[in-house]
Amino acid sequence: MRDSPLGPAAVPLYAAAGLVSLFLLAPLVVPVIISFSDTAFVTWPPRGFTLRWYVKILNEAEFTTSFRFSLLLGVLATLGALALGTPAAIGLVRHSFPGRGLVQGLLLSPLIFPMLVTGIALLRLSTSTGMQDSLVNLALGHILVTTPYVVRTVSASLLLVDPSIEEAARTLGAGRLRGFWLITRPQIMPGLVAGAIFAFVTSFDNYPVSMWLADAVNIPLPLMIFTLTSRFFDPGIAAIASLMILLSVALILVMEKVTGLKRAMSM
Amino acid sequence: MSTARATPFNPDPAADTAPRGFVRGLAGLAGRGDVTAVLLVAPAVLFFLALFVVPVGNMVRYSFFQQTASGELGPHLTLANYARLANVDLYRKVLTTTLRVSLFTTLGAMVLAYPVALVMVRGHPLVSRVLAVIVIAPLLVNVVIRTYGWRVILANSDQGVLNWALAGLGLPPVRWLYTEWAIVVGSIHVFLPLMALPLAAALGRISPAVEEAGRTLGASPWQAFRRVTLPLSVPGLAVGSTLVFSLTASSFVAPALLGGNFAKMLGTLVEEQIMSVFDWPFGAAIATVLIVIVLVINLAYVYLVERRFPAPGQAR
Repeated sequence: MRDSPLGPAAVPLYAAAGLVSLFLLAPLVVPVIISFSDTAFVTWPPRGFTLRWYVKILNEAEFTTSFRFSLLLGVLATLGALALGTPAAIGLVRHSFPGRGLVQGLLLSPLIFPMLVTGIALLRLSTSTGMQDSLVNLALGHILVTTPYVVRTVSASLLLVDPSIEEAARTLGAGRLRGFWLITRPQIMPGLVAGAIFAFVTSFDNYPVSMWLADAVNIPLPLMIFTLTSRFFDPGIAAIASLMILLSVALILVMEKVTGLKRAMSM
Repeated sequence: MSTARATPFNPDPAADTAPRGFVRGLAGLAGRGDVTAVLLVAPAVLFFLALFVVPVGNMVRYSFFQQTASGELGPHLTLANYARLANVDLYRKVLTTTLRVSLFTTLGAMVLAYPVALVMVRGHPLVSRVLAVIVIAPLLVNVVIRTYGWRVILANSDQGVLNWALAGLGLPPVRWLYTEWAIVVGSIHVFLPLMALPLAAALGRISPAVEEAGRTLGASPWQAFRRVTLPLSVPGLAVGSTLVFSLTASSFVAPALLGGNFAKMLGTLVEEQIMSVFDWPFGAAIATVLIVIVLVINLAYVYLVERRFPAPGQAR
């Protein structure tokens, strides 16, 4: 440890980082352990071993319906965010026009603007215009809060691409769209994939926008889980939590494979 | 404009007065390249104007009216909703709780994130990789699930994980859940990655040679850290604090599940006012206060930090 770049504080620093890791992992590990508990209520320490809570929640119509709805919503939001965000990123990176900085600020602003307030404003809009279709309202709201991620990731990968290659293609007779599709699109693929993953996860996990726009029919999964935690006290909720954590782990592995986790988080 | 040089297109930069620049800007808009730019950007901009800028503006406008008994808006502009938030004890308490919880969450996240970020940047490569996954992983787990985990750990009965551990030590159970501290702990967990990642990025930009130079000049390791590394990491801490404070102040899930009715925050109050009481103007006023909090924090960041530490290559 003598020549560690951390200096003589290496040991306490490693210990502190270990403790913080424990803090970060504890609320993820505890539900997984409890989900196998053969008790009628959530208790610590767990007793026995059973898989019946998994069987129970997979047969719980409320859970599976919400899960499917959130998948649909996530796909709609991702497609919308890609459709709006990709051309906007190209316009922002490849062209200069008056008010460019303002446009960029506008398209990234939902990232720092309180989402809860975005949701309230959208609910106000839907009440005053009579837009009552909750699927449409939720999809529009989710596109709004996921587009900034696409703008950011696609802009970042566009900056790494040399525009003269597409120009060369156009000199050789390719049209604008063809030049983009054949030359630039493959080069910004990592940005598109990262943007799509971020958009989907943000939509799938969103609570503060959905809570205002959902109705009794279309209930996104996070809202459903929230309701279930105050209604059920058996380890079924822990089983739901474990399944969701499993899903996240799968996603982390995919991201690590596709773009590298650190890079995806723009470190 | 001051850096304009004489070019074939702009033979006399001195004559490039503002009105002419504006006209040329308009003319440029009609040029082929810029029409493309407008077409590319327009759909997103229109979408954001229609579904974000205008609705938020409308909501803020709402906060300056009062609702009559029939649910209609009163005829006059008024500050009554804001006065109510500031003067009624119950609501003022919610406001101060929100600010206190956000402050403690930010400070706690700083303290916990620092060693993690240092090890991520300077530790053994394998440890650094594992730590990065551990820090980022919670970001991808749903907030409701993470908060549920804390409910189980902090449960007030003797079956909560912490109280079970206390009982093992022969200590009486503690009421953890439904307190401000429970919200702080849950919020630190939710937002820690947003402090650790910018901090690690800032620490990564510091050349180890700078600290070594301090050591060579006679500073102890602690002095070198305090006088060299810590000040240079301030931009990262500032980015993290801005994010953590604003997100905690406007959060809903953690205060609702961990604070309940005993520790209300602005997020839970606004939900109650709009969804249960249907007092839209008062709800809009609370939401506007949330906007102001986030705005103030971000402006403070720009004025206090970005001007003093122009971050290299941070094109935002």
